[in-house]
Amino acid sequence: TGSFGTFPKAISDLRRAYLDECEKSPDPFIRYELGKIMDQNRKAVANLMGAPVETVVFVPNATTGVNTVLRNIEWNEDGQDEILYFNTIYGACGKAVAYVCEYSRDSVQAREINLTYPLPESMILATFRDTIKASRAAGKVPRIAIFDTISSLPGIRMPFEALTKICQEEGVLSLVDGAHGIGHIPISFQTFQPDFFVSNVHKWLYVPRGCAVFYVPVKNQHLIRTSIPTSHGFVPKKGLGSPNPLPNSGKGEFVENFEFNGTIDNTNYLVVGESIRWRQEACGGEKVINDYCINLAHEGGKLVAEILGTNILDNEEHTLTQCCLVNVLLPVSTQPYENFQVVEEEKKGLVTPWLEQTLISDYKTFIAIYSFQGQWWARLSAQIYLDKSDFEWAGHTLKALCERAGKGDVSSFAGTN
Amino acid sequence: MARKTPFGQQMREKHFGFAPSYTPLNHGSFGASPLIVQQKQRELQKLETERPDSFIVYDLPDLIEESRRAVAPFLGVPAEEVVFVPNATTGINTVLRNLEYKEKDVIVHFSTIYDSCEMTIASIAEMAPLTASSVLVEYPIEDDMIVKRFRYRVLELIDEGFNVKIALFDTTLTFPGVRVPWEDLVKVCKEFGVLSLIDGAHGIGDIDLTHVGAVGPDFFVSNCHKWLYNPRGCAVFHVPLRNQPLIRTTIPTSYRFQPKKENEAAEQPPKSHFIELFDFVATMDHSPYCCVPAAIDFRKSICGGEEAIRRYTWGLARLGGKSVSQILGTEVMANSTGSLTKCSFTTVGLPIALKAEGEAVGKGCYSVKDALKIKAWLNKTALKEFDTYLQVGLHAGTLWVRLSGQIYLESKDFDWVGYKLKELCLRLEGGKVEL
Repeated sequence: TGSFGTFPKAISDLRRAYLDECEKSPDPFIRYELGKIMDQNRKAVANLMGAPVETVVFVPNATTGVNTVLRNIEWNEDGQDEILYFNTIYGACGKAVAYVCEYSRDSVQAREINLTYPLPESMILATFRDTIKASRAAGKVPRIAIFDTISSLPGIRMPFEALTKICQEEGVLSLVDGAHGIGHIPISFQTFQPDFFVSNVHKWLYVPRGCAVFYVPVKNQHLIRTSIPTSHGFVPKKGLGSPNPLPNSGKGEFVENFEFNGTIDNTNYLVVGESIRWRQEACGGEKVINDYCINLAHEGGKLVAEILGTNILDNEEHTLTQCCLVNVLLPVSTQPYENFQVVEEEKKGLVTPWLEQTLISDYKTFIAIYSFQGQWWARLSAQIYLDKSDFEWAGHTLKALCERAGKGDVSSFAGTN
Repeated sequence: MARKTPFGQQMREKHFGFAPSYTPLNHGSFGASPLIVQQKQRELQKLETERPDSFIVYDLPDLIEESRRAVAPFLGVPAEEVVFVPNATTGINTVLRNLEYKEKDVIVHFSTIYDSCEMTIASIAEMAPLTASSVLVEYPIEDDMIVKRFRYRVLELIDEGFNVKIALFDTTLTFPGVRVPWEDLVKVCKEFGVLSLIDGAHGIGDIDLTHVGAVGPDFFVSNCHKWLYNPRGCAVFHVPLRNQPLIRTTIPTSYRFQPKKENEAAEQPPKSHFIELFDFVATMDHSPYCCVPAAIDFRKSICGGEEAIRRYTWGLARLGGKSVSQILGTEVMANSTGSLTKCSFTTVGLPIALKAEGEAVGKGCYSVKDALKIKAWLNKTALKEFDTYLQVGLHAGTLWVRLSGQIYLESKDFDWVGYKLKELCLRLEGGKVEL
């Protein structure tokens, strides 16, 4: 589920109903109904988050949310601004940072925080503080730090609440990429107060793709001048331009800015509330779901590691695994380790694509395979539609695949496209 | 051979999903797609749901390529110069936010620019040294006057020491709904070395664009979900090979962005990876991009092809507009060459007296300041009482209504709306309306 999410039939039926209503009379639906229904759904997810409704809007995905923040920041012309980010930053976000720096002709620069896993939480926090110090010692101004709630690859929980507090103490803006966030782990915005936050609801909240929540506390809303792309809701500083052709909603500039950002089908934004309700009624609520999934990830990951004769990625305090993702080391290497399958050094680039493709073609499943710190890992997602037997199956499947890799199947892999 | 469904009421009943009491006279705003194409979309969405990871990673690129190959001939350009973005607004943002600006750079546009585009320029100008220069255009106007004014403005700006970096103009305007002499404007751009960015939001599927490749604008974007009957949101974004290096990133930036620093470090210069860049930007529902071949096929096999569709929709707009103007006692927006109406829009004046600001307003008369309120009242009332949405707007001190000809409409629909409009305007004239 971690990559693209999925959703139950009840939700897709409701979405289809909205789409049909839209097709029956497009103008009235899009101009008059959409905004109202979207507000109801904003309220539902804001309640879930424990955040005021005026701080929450929808964007198509977390990538758009992150881009929106980074492109809105006015960088200082003295060229000393820095963006802090971790080496485990999601690929697209890393590129967004790189782009912003490039476009600014390096007047803003990026500083990477390198972590080697596993490591204790206190080390993550200490390294973060040290990086802020180092930035200042170099005469720079760390303006904003971007970090995950749960990083993607590896899929591990970051101490995002504590990192946010450090940012507050140090006067650094915090941009939290909660792509794996809402619906995955409990997050309350009563206690957790980042400067900017995005979370995909199409991942773990069972909403059809793509829909993400973009949270900006009222005190920071003036920093977000434009949506990406810019659209009708933008209010120019100099007061020029024609009035917004869509009906005035009186909801405040921030909310209006994000209400309509170019024609897309965003009927999926309209089922967020229903999804939250379904999770409550059909599943027993967020806590029940989270507990089940986190527990399954723990037990399932342990099982897979046993079958493979390896281990899961975790630290001693087990803070990294407080989520529904688990990362299992694959017994594949270019070195002759005991009980590991050996692949040739020159073929190591083929391992991940071969494994992923063969999992689909021969075993009809998709498991995220990635290389990290010189090793190969499989990232599994626990979900309410899975149980231990699925993980057991995954373990045996991965074992068989790794054996094939060792026997030379990777070497003859031609790859696709 | 199966008998073709005739355009009009029968086409509507057989192939479109409008509510029976609704009269869809505003295709221009959000488009509509036939049931067959919606069905195709549903199938694609189902595939994506059943095996999300493998669909997105393995099937999607091929489906998008098929769509690109199907739509490229509509612009008369190679498939390698065409990608998809969710909508024209995103396409415009992509171009304008990719360009680098320096002091004295100017973007020239017309006063009739679509407001999201105007907002985009204003947003960019807050952080980059870009100045906007707006050329006033009031309709009706002759094509050569538009081109003349544009040329004069460019010359003026150059004279004043500005660098006219780029010009943005439409193929067909949003309001009034009129055709723009974009081909001649591109010629002027080329004469002065100005980049041309064409907002063809209203374009593909309505007007013939097979000469875009030959005319050679620098950037071109057109919504497929408006006139091509494709599901929302899907727009075609055309960038000729020579300009692809200028489009460094998608909007938003995603993992396929190649930083210059990485390129410099590489041994070989990077090949243009324009197509790859736009193939997957971020998680969204890509099914609209994949429906383009189905939409094109519907237009070909059920409708008889582009020319057949155009002949009907343009013809209906012309006839319908004339009829409405006669019922209202007003005029259709037109110029002497008839160039404005070479599209599926017709824009008809409303018989509502609007006094200029400061002038005395008697009973049944309104101030131009009330124009927005009148529009809102017309929108609300027409919907509530007649179940139709009227695209009403103010232009050059008068209120107009923009109507869209379509294959699911007939002239009786235009006659009907003419009488309804007359009723509504009489009520406004009566002065008892609460705005």
